[in-house]
Amino acid sequence: MSERPVLVIGGGPAGMEAAKGIAEIGYKAVLVEKRNVLGGTPELANYAALTPDFRDAGEAMAEMAAAVDGDPNVEVVLGSTVTASAGSAGDFKVTVKNSREARELDVGAVVIATGFQHFDPGRETQQYGYYEYDDVLTLVDLEKMLKAGKVVRPSNGEPPKRLCFIQCVGSRDRQIGNEYCSKVCCGVAAKQSIEVRKLVSDCKVFIFYIDMRMYGYWEPEIYWPSQEEYKVNYVKGIATDIRQKNGRLLVRGEDTTMGRPMEVPMDMVVLSVGMEPSAGTREMAKVFGAKQNKYNFIETIDGALNTVSTTVPGVFACGAAVGPADIEDSISSAAAAAMKACAVVRKASMAAG
Amino acid sequence: MSAQPPATPGRLDLSGRQYAHVDYDEKERLFEEVKGDLRFDEYLYGCYECGICVASCPSARFYDFSPRKIAQTMAREDVDLFYVFLNDSVWDCSQCFSCDVCPRKNSPGGVITVMREVAVKNGLASAAEALEGYGRVVYKIMSTGTQVSPDMLSANAFPDWGPHVEEIAKNLDVWRRALPPETMHTTETSWQVDDKTIIELYLIWHMTGVMDMIKEVDEGLFMILQDVMEEKLEDAGYDVSFD
Repeated sequence: MSERPVLVIGGGPAGMEAAKGIAEIGYKAVLVEKRNVLGGTPELANYAALTPDFRDAGEAMAEMAAAVDGDPNVEVVLGSTVTASAGSAGDFKVTVKNSREARELDVGAVVIATGFQHFDPGRETQQYGYYEYDDVLTLVDLEKMLKAGKVVRPSNGEPPKRLCFIQCVGSRDRQIGNEYCSKVCCGVAAKQSIEVRKLVSDCKVFIFYIDMRMYGYWEPEIYWPSQEEYKVNYVKGIATDIRQKNGRLLVRGEDTTMGRPMEVPMDMVVLSVGMEPSAGTREMAKVFGAKQNKYNFIETIDGALNTVSTTVPGVFACGAAVGPADIEDSISSAAAAAMKACAVVRKASMAAG
Repeated sequence: MSAQPPATPGRLDLSGRQYAHVDYDEKERLFEEVKGDLRFDEYLYGCYECGICVASCPSARFYDFSPRKIAQTMAREDVDLFYVFLNDSVWDCSQCFSCDVCPRKNSPGGVITVMREVAVKNGLASAAEALEGYGRVVYKIMSTGTQVSPDMLSANAFPDWGPHVEEIAKNLDVWRRALPPETMHTTETSWQVDDKTIIELYLIWHMTGVMDMIKEVDEGLFMILQDVMEEKLEDAGYDVSFD
């Protein structure tokens, strides 16, 4: 019998890479995306430039989308969601719905690439006044400004003279329940700090942090340049609160390495919000019966040696559906998931003779 | 310098009790002078604030002194704190460069070298005060080309050397002649320095701006050195004016 296709759920970087990989190996993929456009969160949230290489995000996503769109081995199904699944590895019957109709598909394996959503800093706590002060933003809001090429204070339209990032908002926090590090916010803040300094050259930029997690090449690519060439101030110490005073924001915290309390005026405060499992990731875990970890990301089995297999044989997950991941991580795990999914399909096909 | 008695008026004090007012613009001018030094970019890249420099620093064990704070103050461009350190902490450094272990390849000691030079060149009162005790040593080096000389040995100058110093000082000339190298049969200098060397040294002090720095911090010492040097230089056929 001929091989069944692999169902790939999610049209972001991980899903597109998985579908492309499956097609390149010579198998078929059905790529289902909830929205009517490919590109995932980088597209949805208007990313300007990718971390750490500053590549134009729109252009990069368009390139990935074009690769799957034009491939005869990939069927792209937009505006649709997966609502049910039956069967087992090698022989799943899944239901794919759009606004008009429901379709039954026979697939051999499944790759869940439904990603993350940005932490909402107003949800659990009003600590930093995200919904209270116009000039308190998130990385996502600033990214949008950077894409438009104009960084100004929302309150008065003036370019900021002093701007700070506050790291680990919604991450590494037992109070909120997100005890994990979101991995990307340090790099994104460093990248954005450089972009702000390029756009608003007389703006002083600060990054208040707990630890800077600049693994691998992020160190020489973004961390050091931001500090050495762009004179971004890294201050170890997290702000406790933000108040408004004389039309500016007053950030209070401790400058730990200088051993002194700190109360500094800022024109703009950018909250480095972390990652949480997206609604799609949580729903797909339920649809396929894949175990979720305590943070509701999809759990992978076998620890470090298997980053994409879920508790359900034949169902794989990759990218930020399994935990915080940057694009490089997502592309790598997507390729691993594609390979394992193809192996399941091939095995089933051979068993069926 | 935290172990010193309470500050006198006009002197900067890290504890913040006694501040002579200095305009921000003036602090910034000095800050820019430090940053503008040719060596600065190789002495300071960026600071992790990791503390390896403090851990390796002998002065940090004895004084309230942190090469890390100096490095990070410069990296963060904190002009106010820079001025505080410029007037105080930089003189606690022993300039041993143990801090060169920095993983970012910073040299906090090098930054301090530049800061000290700027403090001296600009005639900061704190620099003059910090260098006050060194007048005798500076005079000896600059006038003779050698540092601590045998005739500086006296029991009251170096009590920590023990009672035998007094005994030796009595017959210094004899003791020195007992040393095998003839070049060390000296009492006024550590060893024989020939005229050619001393003339070259004087010219170096003069041409590299060292005399100008001495003039800024210690006018009296400058005048004494000027007399000594001018005479020798004239005898050697050099027409050097120190004005």
